Amino acid sequence: MKKVGALLCMVLLITVSCQKANEPIVITPDDYHGSVDKVTEVMIHDIFSPPVASRIYAYPNIAAYEILAKKNEGYQSLQNQLKELSGIPDPETAENLNYELAALIAHIDMNRRLIFSEDRINSYRDSLYTIWEDMNENEFAISKKYGLQVSEHIAQWMDKDNYKQTRTMPKFTVNSEDPSRWQPTPPSYMDGIEPHWSKIRAFVIDSAAQFKPTPPPPFSMEEGSDFYKEVREVYDISNEITAKGDESEEVEIAKFWDCNPYVSVTRGHLMFATKKITPGAHWIGIAKIATKKTDSDFDKTVYAYTKTSIAIADAFISCWDEKYRSNLIRPETLINEHIDDSWEPVLQTPPFPEYTSGHSVVSGAASVALTSIFGSDFAFDDDTEVPYGLPVRSFTSFYEAADEAAISRMYGGIHYRAAVEIGVKQGRDLGKFVVDNLSMSTTTQTQ
Amino acid sequence: MNRPFILLFVVLLSYSCQKGGTRFNTLSAEKTGVDFTNTLTESDDLNILDYLYFYNGGGVAIGDIDNDGLVDIFFSGNQVKNKLYLNKGNLKFEDITSNSGVGGNSSWNTGAVMADVNGDGWLDIYVCAVVGINGFGGHNELYINNQDGTFSEKAAAYGLDFDSYSSSANFFDYDLDGDLDLYLLNHAVHTSESYGKADLRLRRNYETGDKLLRNDNGKFVDVSEEASIYGGINGYGLGLAVSDLNVDGYPDIYVGNDFHEDDYYYLNNGDGTFTESLRTYFGHTSRFSMGNDVADINHDGLPDLISLDMLPDEEIPLKASEGDDNIQTQKLRIKEYGYHYQFTRNMLHVNQPDGRFIETALMSGIAATDWSWSSLFGDFDQDGEQDLFVANGIPKRPNDLDFIKFISSNQIQNKINNTKLVDQQALDMMPTGMSANYIFKGKNDLTFEDVSTQWISQEMLISGASAYGDLDNDGDLDLVTNNLNAPATIYENKTNESANYLKIKLRPNNGNTHGIGSKVYAYTNGTLQYKELFTARGFQASSQPIIHLGLGEATKVDSLKVVWPDNTFQVLRNIEANQELSITPENPKTYTYPNQENSTSPMFKAVDGNLGIQFTHVEDNYLDFNREKLIPYKVSDRGPALAVGDLNEDGKDDLLFGGSKFIPVKVFIRQDSTFAEQEYPEISEEAIKEQVSASIADFNGDNKNDIILTSGGGDFLGQSKALTDTYLVKTDSAYSLRAFPEIFQNASVVKPYDYDNDGDLDLFIGGHTETGKFGKTVPSMLLENTNGEFSINPSFAAVKGMVTDAVWSDFDGDGQTDLIVVGEWMSPIFLKNDKGTFRKTASLAITGLWQAIHPFDIDGDGDQDYLLGNWGTNSKFNATQKQPVKMYVDDFDKNGQTETVIALPKNGKYYPLEGLDALSAQMVFLRKSFNTYTSFAGKTVDEVFGKEKLAKADLLEINTLQSGYLQNNNGSFSFVPFKNELQVAPIMAFVTHDFDGDGKTEVLAGGNYFGVKPYHGRFDSFPGALIKSEKNIILGNQLGLNFTQKSLRHLHILKIDSASYLLAVFNDAAAETYQILN
Repeated sequence: MKKVGALLCMVLLITVSCQKANEPIVITPDDYHGSVDKVTEVMIHDIFSPPVASRIYAYPNIAAYEILAKKNEGYQSLQNQLKELSGIPDPETAENLNYELAALIAHIDMNRRLIFSEDRINSYRDSLYTIWEDMNENEFAISKKYGLQVSEHIAQWMDKDNYKQTRTMPKFTVNSEDPSRWQPTPPSYMDGIEPHWSKIRAFVIDSAAQFKPTPPPPFSMEEGSDFYKEVREVYDISNEITAKGDESEEVEIAKFWDCNPYVSVTRGHLMFATKKITPGAHWIGIAKIATKKTDSDFDKTVYAYTKTSIAIADAFISCWDEKYRSNLIRPETLINEHIDDSWEPVLQTPPFPEYTSGHSVVSGAASVALTSIFGSDFAFDDDTEVPYGLPVRSFTSFYEAADEAAISRMYGGIHYRAAVEIGVKQGRDLGKFVVDNLSMSTTTQTQ
Repeated sequence: MNRPFILLFVVLLSYSCQKGGTRFNTLSAEKTGVDFTNTLTESDDLNILDYLYFYNGGGVAIGDIDNDGLVDIFFSGNQVKNKLYLNKGNLKFEDITSNSGVGGNSSWNTGAVMADVNGDGWLDIYVCAVVGINGFGGHNELYINNQDGTFSEKAAAYGLDFDSYSSSANFFDYDLDGDLDLYLLNHAVHTSESYGKADLRLRRNYETGDKLLRNDNGKFVDVSEEASIYGGINGYGLGLAVSDLNVDGYPDIYVGNDFHEDDYYYLNNGDGTFTESLRTYFGHTSRFSMGNDVADINHDGLPDLISLDMLPDEEIPLKASEGDDNIQTQKLRIKEYGYHYQFTRNMLHVNQPDGRFIETALMSGIAATDWSWSSLFGDFDQDGEQDLFVANGIPKRPNDLDFIKFISSNQIQNKINNTKLVDQQALDMMPTGMSANYIFKGKNDLTFEDVSTQWISQEMLISGASAYGDLDNDGDLDLVTNNLNAPATIYENKTNESANYLKIKLRPNNGNTHGIGSKVYAYTNGTLQYKELFTARGFQASSQPIIHLGLGEATKVDSLKVVWPDNTFQVLRNIEANQELSITPENPKTYTYPNQENSTSPMFKAVDGNLGIQFTHVEDNYLDFNREKLIPYKVSDRGPALAVGDLNEDGKDDLLFGGSKFIPVKVFIRQDSTFAEQEYPEISEEAIKEQVSASIADFNGDNKNDIILTSGGGDFLGQSKALTDTYLVKTDSAYSLRAFPEIFQNASVVKPYDYDNDGDLDLFIGGHTETGKFGKTVPSMLLENTNGEFSINPSFAAVKGMVTDAVWSDFDGDGQTDLIVVGEWMSPIFLKNDKGTFRKTASLAITGLWQAIHPFDIDGDGDQDYLLGNWGTNSKFNATQKQPVKMYVDDFDKNGQTETVIALPKNGKYYPLEGLDALSAQMVFLRKSFNTYTSFAGKTVDEVFGKEKLAKADLLEINTLQSGYLQNNNGSFSFVPFKNELQVAPIMAFVTHDFDGDGKTEVLAGGNYFGVKPYHGRFDSFPGALIKSEKNIILGNQLGLNFTQKSLRHLHILKIDSASYLLAVFNDAAAETYQILN
């Protein structure tokens, strides 16, 4: 019985492989979206913090982009534009090389390197490989070889960005004797994440401190001080909007932009997590929406993802530099200590210092990058969070979305006003620098 | 191929048929008629998500409800009806629930206890209930015994019909007025996700707060407030023990609280009030405290306490479950929120004469029994030592890390938001926590032997409430457990005639008809067995109201002192074994409890004003584990240095204390009979340095004392100047800095000696670590003195390792003073001095975490033995010569920074000490190889890292953890460990003196160490010990010393006029002085 089955199987396989037609392999923007969505999904599963997630988006996109820039003169290579990036090798042969396919393969392979659950990427990859191989074995083999070659090149560059070294650097030391200093927050009281992220090699900005924001109001819990007023404002807004109920616009905005990859919930001994995408991933989602709405071709799609993800990655480096410079305490800690010991923010406080707001900086930077590609009056319906049970929200421009993302952190009770307003400016300034200093598209620059 | 499988199957089959072990039979429901099953029915509205204690189970109570001499069994069910089984003899029971009217009306019953509440001589039944959440209705029910096999529910009439969140109850007479009062244990359902401040417990809350109820002629009055009983919203009360723990005649209360709330230790003031005193008497407690129990396990007449937690012993659940606290979170909870030290494991608190408790669970071998509900001490094999039964199990492990991190989000998230339903599919993804119950055989040295597989059935169960009683009247204690979703288990004890026993019923002539609170002191062949009669014990249960004594071979009890609850007593003599004795008061006399302070014969008395030595060492905030996340303990907390010597040429010894980072050295100058702090700017100048050792002596031969300060601290890196040592020379009236060889490792000890016999003092400087490279061995140095200038002796290269202490001593009796060096992950090194050159002599292969070495002729044979302070055996390290603790040191992830991987032996294999999160945070590649916790859990260190990788790493080992001494046998040395009382914590320092004034010297030892992660806990229990001789060692708590909860660094004897004082210097605490009274 078994033998017969195996035989039959072999026969089938042979027949199938004999049927291989040498049709050209067509790679569409949707194929690329698929790979981006896949890595997002695996990132959610593996639980990467927002800064680390931003790095995972950037390198694979760059690998793909560099391949396309070899073919399409409308796009310039990023070599020597991104720190320490040397030019990728030329393909051995352009004959039968499908650049889009090679770019996608490089993207997938870089994703595999960056996440933990490789099996999830591998099965996705293998099912695509099987299809492509069936379509055109030769074209696939040549494109795959080149894609993996570029992936290796980018990976070697990536390995020198200090990520590995930062793993063994010291943890953030909690020192509760300084009342302004950040302390872990409920319910998990996790250690501050990625205290050395500013030591990661940036892509475009000169240094992590290049967009160092002005300091927040000086710490003081004296009533009437600017800082105290900001604390009080968070508390008052929170009370006001929670009184209005979950359906209030402000609560909806807070939840829409929560983008917390790991919200832990404790019920007695039962613990569980609700996992969502990161702020960076949300903006990657907006990039996808924009490319689809504009019917962008494959190359422009990759370009948009690449530029956005570079801006986001540098934004995290800049923001984290400030976070562990000012080491500012979160509103939840101060409000519980000084104002109301049973107050809980609408959103769960993320585990790192307050100033500036990461979402604000990242949204600021990403919105500038996207505006540079798609224009300043680009209206869109943002359905990025629908898979996580959240509604669609509509915006008339990327800037409008970024401003809403920023203010959402105050509604969420996890940031003071300064972190939001100065944060979004920090992000825009940084975004502008990235846009001004990167020469990528020779045709689609709208600003 | 198939044969082993079949064999296995046969073995399994035969195994499952054989119900029970060699000591206990498990009886089937068919045989006994006890078919009670506490079946849980999960629904959309009621499950582990809606009610955090959904899996806690019901109660069980054992007692003779019809006074026919046969004990009966009552079970309470959570959702099912309660059941009462009448004992018909021969282990046959009859279900009389329907006639007796005790089935119950509450929606959710919890604990059940029997007690003669109305004092008529017949046991009544009290059943607790959770009411007011999840739609639960009803109230706590009191079934008054109608003396005809029926009961009437009269909770309201007695004032006991609480509709709150009760988990258990304990009837006892706290005010000694002859009737039974009640402590009602309630549990919190605190929904806030933050800890909240500890003082939440001060705000009384009806539903969740515990209550003390005084029996005023049959009406129970809530006296909680006036009695100072806490009743806040965060008292997750699961454990409740009543015992006269401080042995003053008034019963005290220990409440075990789940989660972050501290346990409560209520000392009965004897005036109707209690004083919660946990922190004074307990250094730390279990964290997720569950059931507990009290018994005197070491024959000293002091009741000892066990408190259960949920730490698994087996590797798979251990590594797949959420583990210990994050050390910074713990610090925050203690410092900012006001909670006490709590660690996730069972705790065994051994009661001491000064009222404090030494915690020994790890050393005793009972720290990890998985998800444990009920503990019962009892002499189950009747050998005179208390054994321990632990009931455990949980239907689903809600702290499973894969479930929390990878499964719950998809499975639960939307359900919670939308329907509140956790469907079966989601629950099925949590692993089961069914497990076999544990039973331990008590030995006579504070340890227990796990005899679970030999004594009891290894059936996988979820057992909660449990109780003991002699069900078949054969003299031994049988056990009953209330199980979830399975019939109750009856364990028939088969000890029978193989060992002797005595059962005692106590019958005072008042409302406390069963003598709750009576004490029995039984002496047999010079050994004391001390028992108190409190029936509510374990968890949500009460046991048979008898005193049961195991007598082993002894056929009689020599004398039996009964102390009645009213603190009168009588003595019986020559009582035959193997009978049930009923005792009533006969001409009792007033019993006077020995006053605790007077019961000891103090040798030390704390000095008021501390002789002016107002020195408090403050450790800096540096946390080693933030930099080197995998190291086993700190390097940064080895200070302060202490040096004694005359600094102002007045012929009197002054004191110098080292600082810590940015906290300068302090100097105390001897006045007439006290000391006064004096500023020496030139000594204190280098505040950045952390001085861990110091020496005051005349190094340049000008008859004025100079100072050497050696630096450590584990913080400054590389060639930092802050790591160099300091040499200060006295010129005229001031000290000035002199050049000194630059040594950049963290030093541990400086020991001056003129080893080359040229008339000046040379130095040995012990090297401990190179900062950031824990596990890399560093050289120690010999510094030669030439006209007051020091240079490193290049020919001395014999010592490499993490040195902690050294002693100059002529160990071979050749008239030349040799050097012995000890340290961590190494054996003591004997260096024979041959006219100034040193060579290693054959050394013992005892690799340890040695902390101190001290010469003393402990065996009194005239030659020099050496006392050795080591880590002790009361930690999670376990090491033998054959199976040492291993530490691999290498740059496993090739990023330029070394990592340490500790591996511990378990069942012949080696497992990493740390879990996947800790290891992969350092070595990210592990997350690629193990992307679930299940894939990591149960893997050996070889499987995790690969044999080849480990073979390339440096390997350090520990094969000896005990403190002890090197016995000198005609020049060759053998290691002899101290008894277990001296193994409860690291021993850090020794000092010699004739403490008792008998003309012979003794040695005082002190220790404790806190520089470990919550994984190990806190080694805080060692009270110090006076070592008179091999066999004569007295703990400090009997001598007037209080060294517990402090980490000792130095002991020194100060002589002022004719008096002698002991100076004790601690890390991160105030120095103490004691007058030596002799």
